[in-house]
Amino acid sequence: MKKLLTGNEAIAEGAMAAGVEVVAGYPGTPSTEVILSLMAKRKELDFHIEWSINEKVAFEIAAGAAWAGKRALVTMKMSGLNVASDSIANVAYSGCTGGLVIFVADDPGVHAGMAEQDSRYYARSMIVPMLDVASQQECLDYVKAAFDISEKIQGPVLLRSTTDISHTASDVEISKKMTIEKRETYFKHDITKYTKAGAALCMAQHRDALDRLAESLKIGDSYITESGIKVNETHFANTKYGVIYSGAVEGTLREVLRRFPIEISWLKIGLVHPLPEDRIKEFLKTVDRLLVLEELEPLIETEVMRLAFQIGKKVEIMGKLDKTLSLIGDYSFTDIKKGLEALYQKKFAIENNQEIIKDTKKLQVKRPISFCTGCPHRGTYYALNKAIKNLRYKKDEIIITGDIGCTILGMNKPFESCWTEVAMGASIGMAQGFKWAGIKKPVVATIGDSTFFHAGIPPLINAVYQKVPLAVIILDNGWTAMTGFEENPGTIYLNETDTKRVDLVNICQGCGVDKINIIDPYNPEESIKVIEEAIEYPGVSVVISRRECALQAKRRRVKLNKFKVDISKCTGCRICLNQLACPAMIFHPKTEHSKAFMEITTDCFGCGLCQYTCPTGAIEVIEDVE
Amino acid sequence: MLNNLYLVGVGGQGVIRLGQIITAYAMEEGQKVKFFKQIGMAQRGGAVHCEVRISDAFSSRIPPYSADVVAALEMSEALKAAEFIKPGGTVILNKSKVYPIDIMINPETYPTLQKMEEVFKKLKAMLISIDAANIALQIGLPIAENIVMLGAVSFVSSFKKELMIEVLKKNIPHEIKKNTDAFLEGYRTAEGLLI
Repeated sequence: MKKLLTGNEAIAEGAMAAGVEVVAGYPGTPSTEVILSLMAKRKELDFHIEWSINEKVAFEIAAGAAWAGKRALVTMKMSGLNVASDSIANVAYSGCTGGLVIFVADDPGVHAGMAEQDSRYYARSMIVPMLDVASQQECLDYVKAAFDISEKIQGPVLLRSTTDISHTASDVEISKKMTIEKRETYFKHDITKYTKAGAALCMAQHRDALDRLAESLKIGDSYITESGIKVNETHFANTKYGVIYSGAVEGTLREVLRRFPIEISWLKIGLVHPLPEDRIKEFLKTVDRLLVLEELEPLIETEVMRLAFQIGKKVEIMGKLDKTLSLIGDYSFTDIKKGLEALYQKKFAIENNQEIIKDTKKLQVKRPISFCTGCPHRGTYYALNKAIKNLRYKKDEIIITGDIGCTILGMNKPFESCWTEVAMGASIGMAQGFKWAGIKKPVVATIGDSTFFHAGIPPLINAVYQKVPLAVIILDNGWTAMTGFEENPGTIYLNETDTKRVDLVNICQGCGVDKINIIDPYNPEESIKVIEEAIEYPGVSVVISRRECALQAKRRRVKLNKFKVDISKCTGCRICLNQLACPAMIFHPKTEHSKAFMEITTDCFGCGLCQYTCPTGAIEVIEDVE
Repeated sequence: MLNNLYLVGVGGQGVIRLGQIITAYAMEEGQKVKFFKQIGMAQRGGAVHCEVRISDAFSSRIPPYSADVVAALEMSEALKAAEFIKPGGTVILNKSKVYPIDIMINPETYPTLQKMEEVFKKLKAMLISIDAANIALQIGLPIAENIVMLGAVSFVSSFKKELMIEVLKKNIPHEIKKNTDAFLEGYRTAEGLLI
């Protein structure tokens, strides 16, 4: 049966078919939809699925389940792999008895705004086998393959995808539902396997991990999936030209080869760690010129060079090291065409309208992203900027460290509040560094609720302990919003009975913060006053700016009074627009027939901030909602 | 035969929904299909686009100069698809404009329809423009601009009218009469402009 699935949905489907019994993860584009699509079916699935507090905890939950014999899956984006890496590296030494699959989604081309980190190197440094998907079908098939390999070698397996595969939907062949055998729950007390007590133990475990890696190659190199995909596959054509490739480039490569049919030998690598060295050597013997196609780092290319040297075969290798292709970004049709042109030392003609296209780029309308209509963060950054002004500081005197998630949009116009964005929780840690470096003026950290739970608590405790004067503003909209509105321990807008909500105030008190205030970002007057006090406070102060994400509130049918403009009072001064940039505002410039004026559209959610900014009192409530 | 559709607009206009319905139609026809959606900033006032490739596509992304149809739910966004339109392909413009702040203040910097026509003429593409907002308003369902555009795309792509209406009903199971009318009116408008 065929079904239309995105790569991430296919991974969820594959996990179910593989009989997974514990799934945990932390949201992060482009990995989020694996758990999201399982969550949607939560009621009919009789296994545990959760959004954990961060990726490290999520991994530990999956690893614990796999040590107790179960098949367990953990999901994260590449940044999350950094967070989880400490535990993964140590579990990799111990191995596991059940099946343990770590799904990580990389983002070449930066569709979601973070470092273009290549996760494949983790597989090497952690001694964990890694499968890299090239299609949506492979997403489904490779989850099963990963569990198979994991159980056979008794160790964790990494499964890597990239945005292009994860976010594209394709027709995927779904196998008939098989009866899944539940694994027995059993954890054996064995400190030689499950602790790291002493050098002898650790080095024995290191050896075991290397043995497992070697074993994974034996299984993986010849593995054929249920739908008939060979994980590693070689095709010899009657030519001295060849290409070695891996991952998402496969589709585009085939696309280019269809447009410009040429004879070419190819080697596709699905198991990117450990690399199939014998297979690569065999391939190298048949080619004189070789193109290596892989996005981001030249991991395979470097190894291919080493292997060519080892067997003493002279091969011209094209890829990133000779600068034919870029280390940056995902590969488009044009990039891969360029690679093949270098390989064949000729140009493949294509319609060329470069000049016209260049002109159209100038005409394009730029659409900078700002906060949504009714977003509570708009009120918080508005109040923060006002507070700084009221305290008679210039805007460029007060460092405001930002953090990951929707809250970082405070760096954009019209607020331009945040100065930095580093990693989950880093706003609070970085702020302390600025103080120790000798910044005399106050420093403010802004962070979202989910980001604070994830990694903001240890730096907050550190600030209290080290007595660093610091104002921390937690923008608590109740959801992990940027990635698609997942719940987190602080989400109070759910009627869940199987989870217990954790309050940010209690956490901050427990961390030893003396000054904690809660504000409503829809109430600018009070918010400005409280933030002023927090900035001037000589110790660590926390302001919790609490108001539900407007998009989620809308979904839950929360209704507020909407606003409109009384055109007779509006002078068209645009102060509301310049200070708030609300998407529900439209400015009508002066024409022959009318003066300039503002309009508030029916998109208005009713935060009321514009009314506060209006110097002529032209903005008024239109609807009375009980 | 491969049919590549490149769909553009801004967050909230239903660009992704339009792509989903076309994708569902292709599946219903028993065709292979790939559907790429650029998501993440859609609800935050940003540009949004998706690509539907029906039949034998290897990659989810449409190669340059290969889109049979470009449909722009927001007029100027069509420019962002310029490098993908195939010579001889069709560009369907919705006349609706969504201004970011900079343009609100200087509306004269927004590209004119005439300028858009010039650009696509140079690229040897056929261009039709539709006032989907007005059509949707007449029908009494202002939100259905994307469904009017679905009608136009369906005519241009020779999709089976009856089957598409069935798929539309399945995908949007409310306001069925008005949505069907929006679809048919979009279809007729494109037909009228091209024949």
